[in-house]
Amino acid sequence: MRLACDTGGTFTDLVVEDGAVTRLFKASTTPDDPVRGVLDAIGLAADHYGMPRGRFLAGVDMFVHGTTRAINAILTGNTAKTAFLTTAGHPDILVLREGGRIEPFNFKVNYPEAYVPRHLTFEVPERVMADGSIKQALDEAAVATIAGRLAELGVEAVGVCLLWSVANPVHEERVGAILAEHLPNVSVTLSHRLNPTLREYRRASATVIDASLKPLMFDYLSKLTNRLREAGFSGRTLMVTSQGGVMDAEAVARAPIHSINSGPAMAPVAGRFYAERDFGAAPVIIADTGGTSYDVSLVRDGRIPWTRETWLGQRFRGHMTGFPSVDVKSIGAGGGSIASVDAGGLLQVGPRSAGSTPGPVAYGKGGTEPTVTDCALILGYIDPAFFLGGAMPLDLDAARAALKTQVADRLSISLEEAAAAVLALATEKMVGAIDDITVNQGIDPGAAVMIGGGGAAGLNAVAVGKRLGCAAVLIPETGATLSAAGALMSELTTEHARLLFTTSAKFDFKGVNALMATMEEQCQAFADGPGAGAIEVAIDFAVEARYPHQIWEIEVPVRGRRLADQAALDDLVADFHAMHKKIFEINDPHSGAEFVTWRAKVRCRLKEPGAGRLTACDSDASIGKRTVYFSSTGWSDVPVARFEAMPPGLKVTGPAIVESSFTTVVIDPGTVAERTSGGGLYVAL
Amino acid sequence: MTNETLSGGVRTAILASRMEGIARKMQNTLFRTARSGVLNTAHDFSCVIVTADCQLLASAESLPIHTLVGPDLMCEAVRGYHPQMKAGDCYLHNSPYEGDSHPADHCLIVPVVDAGGTVRFFVLAKAHQADCGNSRPTTYMGHAADVYEEGALIFSAVKIQSDYQDNQDIIRMCKARIRVPEQWWGDYLATLGAVRIGERELVQLGEEVGWDVLDNYADAWFDYSEKKMEDAIRRLPSGMVTVHSAHDPFPGVPDGIPVNIHVAIDAAAGRISVDLTDNIDCQPCGLNLSEGCARTAAMVGIYNGILDHTVPANAGSFRRIDVKLRENCVVGIPRHPHSCSVATTNLADRVSNPVQRAIAEIAPGFGMAETGPIMPPAMGVISGRDPRNEGAPFVNQIFLGTTGGAGTAVTDGYLSIIHVGNAGLCRQDSIEVDELQYPLFVKERRLVADTEGAGRYRGAPSAYAEFGPVEGCKLEVLYTADGTINPAAGARGGLPGATSKAQKRLLDGSVVDLPACYGVALEPGEFVISRSAGGGGYGDPRTRAPDMVLNDIREGWISEARAQSVYGVALRQDGKSLEIDVESTAALRTKA
Repeated sequence: MRLACDTGGTFTDLVVEDGAVTRLFKASTTPDDPVRGVLDAIGLAADHYGMPRGRFLAGVDMFVHGTTRAINAILTGNTAKTAFLTTAGHPDILVLREGGRIEPFNFKVNYPEAYVPRHLTFEVPERVMADGSIKQALDEAAVATIAGRLAELGVEAVGVCLLWSVANPVHEERVGAILAEHLPNVSVTLSHRLNPTLREYRRASATVIDASLKPLMFDYLSKLTNRLREAGFSGRTLMVTSQGGVMDAEAVARAPIHSINSGPAMAPVAGRFYAERDFGAAPVIIADTGGTSYDVSLVRDGRIPWTRETWLGQRFRGHMTGFPSVDVKSIGAGGGSIASVDAGGLLQVGPRSAGSTPGPVAYGKGGTEPTVTDCALILGYIDPAFFLGGAMPLDLDAARAALKTQVADRLSISLEEAAAAVLALATEKMVGAIDDITVNQGIDPGAAVMIGGGGAAGLNAVAVGKRLGCAAVLIPETGATLSAAGALMSELTTEHARLLFTTSAKFDFKGVNALMATMEEQCQAFADGPGAGAIEVAIDFAVEARYPHQIWEIEVPVRGRRLADQAALDDLVADFHAMHKKIFEINDPHSGAEFVTWRAKVRCRLKEPGAGRLTACDSDASIGKRTVYFSSTGWSDVPVARFEAMPPGLKVTGPAIVESSFTTVVIDPGTVAERTSGGGLYVAL
Repeated sequence: MTNETLSGGVRTAILASRMEGIARKMQNTLFRTARSGVLNTAHDFSCVIVTADCQLLASAESLPIHTLVGPDLMCEAVRGYHPQMKAGDCYLHNSPYEGDSHPADHCLIVPVVDAGGTVRFFVLAKAHQADCGNSRPTTYMGHAADVYEEGALIFSAVKIQSDYQDNQDIIRMCKARIRVPEQWWGDYLATLGAVRIGERELVQLGEEVGWDVLDNYADAWFDYSEKKMEDAIRRLPSGMVTVHSAHDPFPGVPDGIPVNIHVAIDAAAGRISVDLTDNIDCQPCGLNLSEGCARTAAMVGIYNGILDHTVPANAGSFRRIDVKLRENCVVGIPRHPHSCSVATTNLADRVSNPVQRAIAEIAPGFGMAETGPIMPPAMGVISGRDPRNEGAPFVNQIFLGTTGGAGTAVTDGYLSIIHVGNAGLCRQDSIEVDELQYPLFVKERRLVADTEGAGRYRGAPSAYAEFGPVEGCKLEVLYTADGTINPAAGARGGLPGATSKAQKRLLDGSVVDLPACYGVALEPGEFVISRSAGGGGYGDPRTRAPDMVLNDIREGWISEARAQSVYGVALRQDGKSLEIDVESTAALRTKA
């Protein structure tokens, strides 16, 4: 048996994979002691099996965990007291950042605070040059003096990022050794080891963020593994990472930055599986709808997209992690997004959100502003008596009153028109987010299939898909817990990267091949170590390449494991031109190419691919009719079907509603829904 | 959902989101594929949508000085010269006498044509070139007596594509006259990609919702924007003020350029007017403003000053603004052949800044202090031959450290604003990227204490940068530094920011001052030293919250001495930590 557990802001989701059957459980998240929430969820599962928790856990051989612990610590400022060491002459790397700003006329927002304040920043006398040569030798005595000062200040963690440590790490290594000697109990992160990438700000940013998380994540993961062991678990604990893979919990404790974007990164992993199973080669848009945010990613050719520009918080206002992670775009649009009318008479939806507290008006927990969820309720999409399987009754009248006074009356339209407009505008924002992410990769969303995940996905997934011109929308059976389902499918991965600048005109075959050989050895060592026992191991090489004078590279897969001769190089250059055309509509086939960073990624598959099925529900597939409103048809009685009970092949023609304990799917007029053999709901548009 | 069933407010919101999305799509394409650092690192470009009758409709987040007025004038120029346009046309335009900001900003303009052959919109991408064929390797010819000495190739609505195919005659002309032609070619491709993507998207949108719906949308969006602007202006008190500013002396203008501006707010009518006519004629230098920049610079000060970013900056909200210009005026409508080589930055800032300061003087709680004047050597154009690459020539503008944000009524100066006209949307260079791209060694880059314009909300401090060529390379750095004499003024009792500075470190380590507008040649081992100007402060520094002053000391933004003398905050050592001496602070502050 394998477990995947995703600790979110409100709920701790647990997916139990028991042979071919999957079961879902939800417990409340316990912020004061999150491990308790994990154990509570496990307790619910054990109860279901009618076993004491210890015996249940004894039958579990793998526990995969995702948590918002690290990101929450950053957002609430509860990370370690962290110092930043950098090359003398350049103390303001974290302050100046890379510039850039949003909202040109908004001067109400302060310049962002540096992740490490200036008074905890120290200049190390040394300088390495772009070619790796040493311009100024390291002043080791000065480093020892700094170490003394750090001890006085009670610093708990140190991030070290020296200029060009990616070209020659010798100074950074030495600084690490001196700190280890003088400050044995202080966590240290060295930039070239953590994130060997060009651009000092983003490398430094990743380094100090990682260092600042080490004490608390080490503590959290030790507690988690110890308490699981005490509870009777003797299997392997894995953590999901921002890169959409899994790592041993001990490895994440050593580099906790891997865990900051772990939740959203899992949805595309699940999405890729469903896409390959149900749609073959079509590009797939994965949209995960939560209470406050809408996370979008894109899978094509079976590849999960990556970005090196992940921001914590808003672009330019938050911090860049500078770390490769799954390219997920988040916008403030979800079930909790608030609808309002501004002074100019324009309808607004989000980015303000009622979140889980106070939540939508209908929750009756103190929310007073109408939300997307309230509108879905008003339109009849959600059954007020069957929300979360009936666990939470909803207050329809309160929702109607709030929307009427705050939106409908101010726009001089009817209540249902207002509710439909709110959903239409939310849909439009979601479409805008998808457009952004698809443009960056040159994909026509019209050629893609959309997969909807998250509890609120079904409210407008069909509308979004229609608006984009997608061929179809799929709501997987485990869609409501798409991230946790993805965690069970991920592979054990690690990546190695090295900077070696060379050009197609004067290609450094010797240097590149030596580097690839080294990285292959490192990957193999990983496969033989943590990856031992994997059923399949793959090592992939890629290079970040660009045209001369460009500075934003694109990642191009390398066909083999070495670049033996001119023919292999010609192939690589041809692949680069093709990739550039694919992404940006243009290329420059007469130009040469430049190569900057070389990457090797090892993936160890721990189990056969596949997703278990939910246990069937023995109720009737058709559970009557409900009065709902669509702009095109007005109020009408439409059929309501029970998701889990629908047999494959049964067609439900829109307008209709398909609902389960975890989600409601609105089937718009003119579309047809059908259960796939894999258990998902497929809506042809 | 059909459009008929949507109420106006809903449809307008949805289409506004679509339009902004299209402009963003254009920007993404340009940024990711451009070849020159000024585009792909510094983000010095803009992408906009203009209506068929030449009104600015959508600009995503483009540089304000590039886009408020100018795209409209340029589309009018294209319409005037080419009454018959068809799909597949593309026009290259950079004439500052016909709407462009300055000649280094190459614009590609594409008419968006419906299936019936009617022009429905224009899409326009404006990109600052690394080189534009000037007589010296810089895109900012501050010392040029006229357009002939400036040397830029001037394109007036030149049709560079027909039927989606390049006119090779024009391409060859550019390649023959623009330095590092393959860099220009790559940037041209990137810009072309942007306008073609914009065109494709708009055609799709028009066919999807109907072109008439889009026309109606544009009208509704303009009306909405005008209403928002009217409301914003009504929040201010009425008043009139005349403010003065001055650009530093430069070659051709030995006494500098004084600037006089009359600003009037009429709250009852919901209008703001700016009169720039009371100024000297065009001058024999590259600082003269183009019409686009003169109008836009005044408007930037207004949009900054009203402190309401929810007002969309488009032709609708422009209706509430009157900018009065004079023909053949240095801050007005330039007369050919006066040079406008530096029109987007130096003198334009000397218009925007006093306007936003004027609003602060009329309306407490609104307006801003002045942003630091720009173009110190750290923003210069570097050129030379790269010894690491067989002596291949290079030329490009760098962004190695310019700060200058102005204090506002509610926030401290935004550190990385660079200058008032680009609103901080341009980026700062990575030292590693610059050292990899060019034979450059950046010895030092840091912020400088006690350079902020003190105030209740202080300006941003200056940035110090010191850089030179690597071994075996000679480097030339051309720059046009304003603010070495006239600093960024404070508003409402706030103090001015520090001046800018240009110096050279000689081989023996000694330092000599350099002129403000200059091209410095550097041998290996020599360095140019750049200090950017600090931003002005807003409000009396003695009203700044003492906790904020204390934090500024801890973070090294200001010294204890300055805290005491300028901010009136006294401190005492409490064990290991520095604390505010409340009584002495009160005494210091009442004394003044």
